[in-house]
This record gives sequence, C-alpha cells and structure tokens, in this order.
Amino acid sequence: MDYEKLGFMCGLEIHQRLATEHKLFCSCDALLPDDISIAEIDRRQRAVAGELGRVDLSAAFETMRGRKFVYNVFRNTSCLVEVDEEPPHELNAEALFAALQMGASFGCWVPAEFEPMRKEVVDGSDPSAFQRTLLVGHGGHLDFDGRQIGISSIFLEEESSGIEHSDNRLVIYNVDRLAIPLVEIDTEPEIREPEEAKEVARRIGLVLRLTGKVQRGIGSIRQDVNVSIREGARVEIKGFQELETMDKIIENEVRRQVSLIEIKKELQKRDARVHPPLDATALFGETKVKILRKALEDVSGAVMASRLQGYGGLLGREVNPGRRLGSEISDYAKLAGAGGIIHSDEDLGAYGFQKEELDELRRMLGMKENDAFIIVAGDREMCGGALAFANARAQQAALGVPNETRGVNSQMLITTFLRPLPGGARMYPETDVRPIPLDREMHEKASKQAVDVGKVVRMLGGEIKNKQLEEQMLWSPYLGLFTRIVDETGAPGGVVAPVLLDKMTQMRRAGKNVDAIGDEAMLKIFGEYTKGRITKTAIEEILKQTPRDAKAVEKAIKTGRLERIRGKALEKLAKESKGEGRDEKIREIMSRHRLNVDGDELSGLVK
Amino acid sequence: MYSREVEALLSKKGIAPGDAIRVSIGSKKFEGTLLPRPEFGDQGVLVLKLKNGYNVGLKLGAGSKIEKLEHAKESFAFPRVKLEKRENLPDVAIVATGGTIESKVDYMTGGVHMLVEPEELLAQVPEILDIANFKLVSPMRIASEDMLYQDWQSIARATAKALSDSHGVIITHGTDTMHYTAAALSFMLNGINGPVVLTGAQRSGDRGSSDAYMNLLCAAHLAAKGNVAEVGVCMHASSSDNYCNFIRGTKVRKMHTTKRDAFRPINGTPIARIDAGGNIEYMGEHRRVQNGKEKLRVESGYEPKVALVKFYPNSDPEIVDFYIGKRYKGIIIEGTGMGHVAVSPSDERYSWLGHIKRAVDAGVVVGMTSQTLNGRVNANVYRNLRLISGAGAIYCEDMLPEVALVKLGWLLGNHKRAEAAKMLNRNIAGEITERTEVDWF
Repeated sequence: MDYEKLGFMCGLEIHQRLATEHKLFCSCDALLPDDISIAEIDRRQRAVAGELGRVDLSAAFETMRGRKFVYNVFRNTSCLVEVDEEPPHELNAEALFAALQMGASFGCWVPAEFEPMRKEVVDGSDPSAFQRTLLVGHGGHLDFDGRQIGISSIFLEEESSGIEHSDNRLVIYNVDRLAIPLVEIDTEPEIREPEEAKEVARRIGLVLRLTGKVQRGIGSIRQDVNVSIREGARVEIKGFQELETMDKIIENEVRRQVSLIEIKKELQKRDARVHPPLDATALFGETKVKILRKALEDVSGAVMASRLQGYGGLLGREVNPGRRLGSEISDYAKLAGAGGIIHSDEDLGAYGFQKEELDELRRMLGMKENDAFIIVAGDREMCGGALAFANARAQQAALGVPNETRGVNSQMLITTFLRPLPGGARMYPETDVRPIPLDREMHEKASKQAVDVGKVVRMLGGEIKNKQLEEQMLWSPYLGLFTRIVDETGAPGGVVAPVLLDKMTQMRRAGKNVDAIGDEAMLKIFGEYTKGRITKTAIEEILKQTPRDAKAVEKAIKTGRLERIRGKALEKLAKESKGEGRDEKIREIMSRHRLNVDGDELSGLVK
Repeated sequence: MYSREVEALLSKKGIAPGDAIRVSIGSKKFEGTLLPRPEFGDQGVLVLKLKNGYNVGLKLGAGSKIEKLEHAKESFAFPRVKLEKRENLPDVAIVATGGTIESKVDYMTGGVHMLVEPEELLAQVPEILDIANFKLVSPMRIASEDMLYQDWQSIARATAKALSDSHGVIITHGTDTMHYTAAALSFMLNGINGPVVLTGAQRSGDRGSSDAYMNLLCAAHLAAKGNVAEVGVCMHASSSDNYCNFIRGTKVRKMHTTKRDAFRPINGTPIARIDAGGNIEYMGEHRRVQNGKEKLRVESGYEPKVALVKFYPNSDPEIVDFYIGKRYKGIIIEGTGMGHVAVSPSDERYSWLGHIKRAVDAGVVVGMTSQTLNGRVNANVYRNLRLISGAGAIYCEDMLPEVALVKLGWLLGNHKRAEAAKMLNRNIAGEITERTEVDWF
C-alpha cells in the first residue's frame, strides 16, 4: 500500500507503569505483591451531565448499558483513596522525579507549576469515575532513524483497575492495580508507515526502560495507536499484546478504512437510509429458525427487524479478512446484550428461514430492490436496545468510518470494536490537591539522569566487547542490573553479560525460578567473584539455588563449599597432586575441585 | 487573583480569565484559555487550559510574550431539568441549606459553585422527577460548619411551612454538622405528620461516583411515600451503592471524616432502609403518619449559652468556672466510661467535684454523658459516680453528648430552668431509650 498517497496519519500513546514504592496519590504498595482481597464494593456510576449541552457519545453509551461495577479491594495495595472514600494525599515525589527524568530524556519543556487534573472515566475502571493526571512535559522529540519524531506531551497519571470479569450487566474490577503511577508519552502523528510505528514504539520503550524506573512484565507497558487515512477517521487501537504484529494490525486497520470509504461512496450514491426497527414477532410464530424459536420460548421473547434502504449487497462486503460490514453492525448490537444479528446478505436458507416468512417480513418492512434488513431476536427490551445501536452503526456507514476505540484480535491480526471514541474527555482541576510548583533542584537532578541511548551503546561496547551480546543487552530487561553490577562491583562486563543473558535463560528453560533471584543477590555474587572469593564456575552453582538476597548467597557459598582455593592453598594442592605430568595434574585437580579452582590460576602454578 | 505584576500586564493587554490567549516563552508557544488563579501557590504563575484539556502553570520571564486571541465565550451554565406538575405524584418539598450536595464544579475553571435553582440540583438525578413533584425553598446556602442555632430555627420554620402542603420534606445539608441540625429539628418540630429527611453528600457531585445521586433518590422515595413521621438522616448504609439508612435525628452521628457511610445509628437501629428503586424496609420502632392530622407546633426557642465540655486526664476543671463566669445556663460534660470525671486525683486541683457543685449552685444545669458514645451512663455503680451525681450532675442515660447539648439549649430556650433540668434525662424525641438491645453495638 502507498501510505503517503492514502494520507496515512499515525501517532502513538505509550503507557508505562513506573516502579515506585507507592501509588501516585497515596501510600499503598505499588509494586503489586500478592495480596488478599478484603472487601467487595458495588457501585453505580453515571455520566455527569455535560456542559454546554454537549453529549459525549462514549459516555452516553456506557450510561445506556447501565452496567453494575464491583470492586475487589485488597489489604496492602488499596486504601480508602482507591475506592473514592478519602481525598488524595500528596503527589508521589518518586514518580514525579521519574516522569521528569523521562521528559528530560526526550528534551521536553517542563511547566513552572503542575496542575493535577481529573479526567472523566466512563467505563467504571476508576471507582471515582475520573483518573488523576498531570502534564509534566511538552514539546520534546525522539531521535529516530536520522530524523526527529515529535513528542507532544508527557503525562503522569494513575493506572486503571484490572478487569476480573466483564459482561453486559456487570464488570468486576481489581483495585490493586489502580493508581499505580503511569507515564503516558504521546508522539505527534508523524509516523509514516505501520512498520515505523512498531520501531518507534520499541525505541520509546527502550528509553523508558533505560531510566531504570519502570515496572517490567506483562501489562507494564501498553501501546495505543491512533490511525487514520484521508476521508477515514481517527481510530484508537488499544491492547497490543506484543509489538511484533503491530504493523500487520495497523495495515489491516488501514484496509478496513479503505473498504469502509468505498462502502460509504456506494451508499451515498444509492441515497441509503436506515428505518426505525419494527416488531416482527408475529411473523415467526411457526418458524423453523432455531435461534428465533429459542428466543420466542420466553414470554418476553421478541423478533425485531430494521429496513436498511439501499444497503442490499453491502452488508456482505468484506472489510477485513473474515469480517463484513454486517459483522461491524453486529458488534454494536452485541453491546446491548444481543448474541448477534441476522442480515439479508447471509445465506438465510441455512438458518432455516422459509420463503413465505421472508416475503412477509420484506412486505412488513416495506422493502424494495437494493434494500437490506437486519434481525435481532431475544428479550424484547434487549432487542430494542440492540437494534438502536445496530441502526446507529448502519447509519454511520453512509457517513464513513466511525471514530472508535478498537481492540486487537491477535490471532486474526485485525482490530475489533470496543466502544465509540470519547469526544475529548472532560477534564477539570483536581481541587483536592494544590498546584505543585516545579522543584528546580529535583528537575536539575532528573535532567542529569536523562537517558542518552548513544551513550549506553558506547558503554556496552566498552564493557562487553561482543557485538551480539551488546545488542542483546541493550534490549534486555537485565540492562539496568548489568549496569549496576559493573558499576558497583567492578566485575568485567564480559563475564556478567553471558551470565545474565545466556545462563539465566538456560536455567529458566530448565524450570528454575530465576525471577526469584534478587538484585542484591546478583550484586553479592559478582562482588565475591571480583574479590576472588569464588570462581566463575561457582557463579552458576550459586544461581541454581535462586538466592533472594545477599544472605542467601553467603549461605550458598558456605554450605556448598564454594570458596575459591587460590594462592598458597592452590600451590599446596598442585604439589600434592598424584597426576603424572602437567596436563594430568591439572585434570586431576580440576576433577576434584572444578567449582573451587580457577583454571587459569592453576595452569600458571603447575610446572 | 494573580500577583500585582501579572494583573497589571493582563489589564494592559485587556485580558481577563476566560479569554483565549497565546503565551510565548522562549521558542515555546502555548495557546489556551486563561484561568483564574487558584488560591494556593505562586500567584505569579499563569494557569492556562490547553486545547487537550490539561492545565499548565506558566511563569513569564524576560522576553515572554502574551497576546489575546479571543474574548471569553459565554459563561458556564449548569444543566437543568424542567419542572412540570404531574397529577398522580405526591408533593415533596426540598429545603436546601448548602453543603457539598449543592455545590458543583465549573469544569472549565475548577471553581466550586452553589447550585441555586431546584432545576439545577435535580438535574443531577433527572429520574427523581418520576418520584414526586418538587418545590424548593432555600433559607440559606452555607457550609454546615458555619451553621448557628439561628439557622436551625429558620430551617425548622421553613420545614414546618413546607410540611403543610407536602407529604414529606427533604433537607439538603452539609454533612459535618448534619446530626446537630437533625437533633435540633427533632426537638423544635413537635407533632410532625410526615417524613423530614436530611441528606447530603460526602463526595462532590462533579464526579460520576458521587454518593449524592443515590442519597437524593432514596431521600425522595422516603419523603414521597414513607410511612414515618420523624426527623432523620438518610445517607449511604455502606460503601456500596446498594441502599441508604434512615436514622432517627437524635440517634445519629457522623462517625467518619470522608466515607459515604459515615452516618451511623448510635444506641439504636435505623428506622428504615431504602434503595434507589424505592423499596422501603422498616426496621425499628417509629412514629407513623397519623390519619387525623395533629397540629404541628414549632418550638424554636433556643438558649445558646450552653457548652459541651470534654473530660480527659489532667483536664483543668476551671473550664467549668469559666462558663459560670460567662453566665452560661447549661453544661454538658462528656465524661469517661459510665460518666466519670476526676473526683479524688493525687493532685486535688484536678478534681471536678467542687466545680460541678459550684456550677449547679450557681443555677447552671449540668448534664453528664459519655465519650464512649455507645452505651448508657450510670450514677450508681461506683462511689465516684454517686459523688458526681450527688453534686448535682444529671446523668443523661444513653443520649449522645451532642444531642444532649442541643436538647439542653432547646429546653432552656423554651422552659424554666427547673423544668429544663427535670426534662433533660426524660425522653422527648427518641433521644433516650429505656432498653438497649444486644445487637446495637
């Protein structure tokens, strides 16, 4: 595809959880330890009436669904602040520092005073119905492939709750995750093609990771992609499971928009219109269509249908692999609780429809040539809601691509409808906390710690001296630890890197819980190695014990008798060896003291 | 207000808050709406609302530029509902007195405003219009910590007037002193024949999670059809949006600074629980709506020279002399346990006994309550209790200290001293129960 010709516009929003001790506005544990659920709270939320009569479709949508929200509350990771029962405390200075450091890494401008805001949240993911957020940086850039990609803004905000369960009536959220400090980095829409989006996301992720202030693991970084093409519409894609397929998914989204624009043109040519839904229950009293029969078993069961004037043949038009316009309309109906829709571009015989009942239906709807219909069956009230949503989507097809928030189907590599795109979320000041003046000293210190990727690359070159390992280490989650080990213990990078990159992977594959090994344990191991107290071979032996801390390392050395035999003791060993000749002597000693003897030292001693 | 320098610069350029402006600081340019300066922080920092909705604080320096782009658009208007009289619905009056429930944030500036029209207050929960026909009176709009007894008097009069042509009355009120007002109304309104329901909000109504919505709905259901002729508080029963409790005005207390279920019954049970759908479950004994309408009398007299004094280890009993000197007519002591104050401490200057006796001799009514709140005081179990009551302190049974204070002020405002003293520990408005049920605590 020629993206330039299509008017491809693409920008990223990278959300990165910070590894701070506490949450953003309270002292709850932010590092997500295993926690005990201690209470369940049920809440209803409503879209707060909009100012100036503006109706936010997304908010109205959620209110219409009228879902109940239940919050699981935890012992250490949540307090009254999370469940909107107590005003926020002071802003977490550790988080602000990390955000400033990140801002400095992208050369951002910093306000003289931070103004904490409330951003309205309508999906219940925050018990207070808003998210606290502040702008901490503005107008920076990312050096990318010889040019600069603009970083429009950096925000410091609260993470949302985790979803435990979700259906059309009820959502259960876990508030342990809620309000963990999160940094959002927004790029300008300057990305030229899908492949580039992937690379820019990777690069921003690297810069954030190099600050050493971020959480690792699944869900700790999320990328939202904003995509549009000329005549299309801005669509926000959320929930990429991995970066690897991001370009393919964006590509398919562009294809979808291209198809929808073609459909729009055709519908406009046909002067297409959507008619209000009618009750068709009476027509299907004797039907053989299983889905309808099942729906009508219930006393409140109904069959309702809408006439889509001028839509004939277009509902079956493919917009993405395996997806038709009909599927897009069906997505909306599903949100009201419908199992889906039946439309006239499908093989209706396969459902079991009789010609007579279809003729009756067409007559009732007043259908003409080129028209289509959609049917929903089930509870009467649900049918009404489902067709209202479905009709709205059908109508939108004649106007073009709808502004939507879309999710990701990782198997099909396509985007899927989540909800209408919120129209500029309502934001207003968080009046429970005071504006926060920029602390010059903190800003200076954070700026000094700004990440310089080039410098890191040079450092790795100097330490590791192995191109492949250097590249691997640059992207490895162990980079921060690697730097600490090299800086604090003086251990040679050429020894540390293979242990962190290869040995750990091997052990993980062998089923060892290497994630249990604490940073302090690592520092101790390489510290002892640098001091000459243990050998290189003993390092792996200690790691096998997955020590949590320095004390556990000490214990592993003692109980495993891993102390290095060197100097005089080694000389004595060499003298006493019964081996014939130099090589056999070395072999004999090594076979008995493989973990305790440094091969180089030994071969220097044995004459 | 911005600092004098900034104000001068703004007025020179003809810029006022609400105007769209452009600020240039070095090479950076910011466009947005100028906001009023918050009270806190550096008054020299401009607060600008950017197009993405975020506010930022900008400090002008040498070489900074500021220009006006557009004059302020129409001022902010809160949404309103349309009030139409519907024949088949009961009449409910709202007496609006202020508090969080009536304040609303201007989303643009963050300024907090009072909702002054019923159409604005009810717009928070439009479905409330299906419950009753509403009329609204507003004797005052104040934060509840600013309430004085004169305010209780005007609320009492407004409520009595409203009750004459409504089934029930809702009083919207700040939560901090809601239980004082509830107690005052319980005594001042004699012979009411419908529900008088105080309600409020612990979380402001700018957010979709405010407790105001359910509190208002439950209060409306109760005021519209509740078979209860008492004054009480209707607020969340738990942290969940499941139902509200309606708790007698003399047995309710705010027991938490911030939680939505802060109001708890003390030495009693709720009268009823109400859900937002209008289901009312009556739980405790209560006065029902009477057929032959009893004449409602407002006894709003009040003697403000009454004090609530807390005893604690080493507390100086001369506080009692201070009030005697100030010609106070009544003192309620919040004693420890069953109603103790120090009687024979090693340093006798800390004994309250003589001081209490002096007060009683000077004509001050002295009542004894307990800082445990839960349970009943007793004048007999220990020798010290007998000495204190012997000195003339009146033991107030299971009455809450704040309720005893309000009651004493009301008694002294409407009755002679001797009669007031006699009535202090006799039940008038449900403030004293004869028996304490085992599951009340």
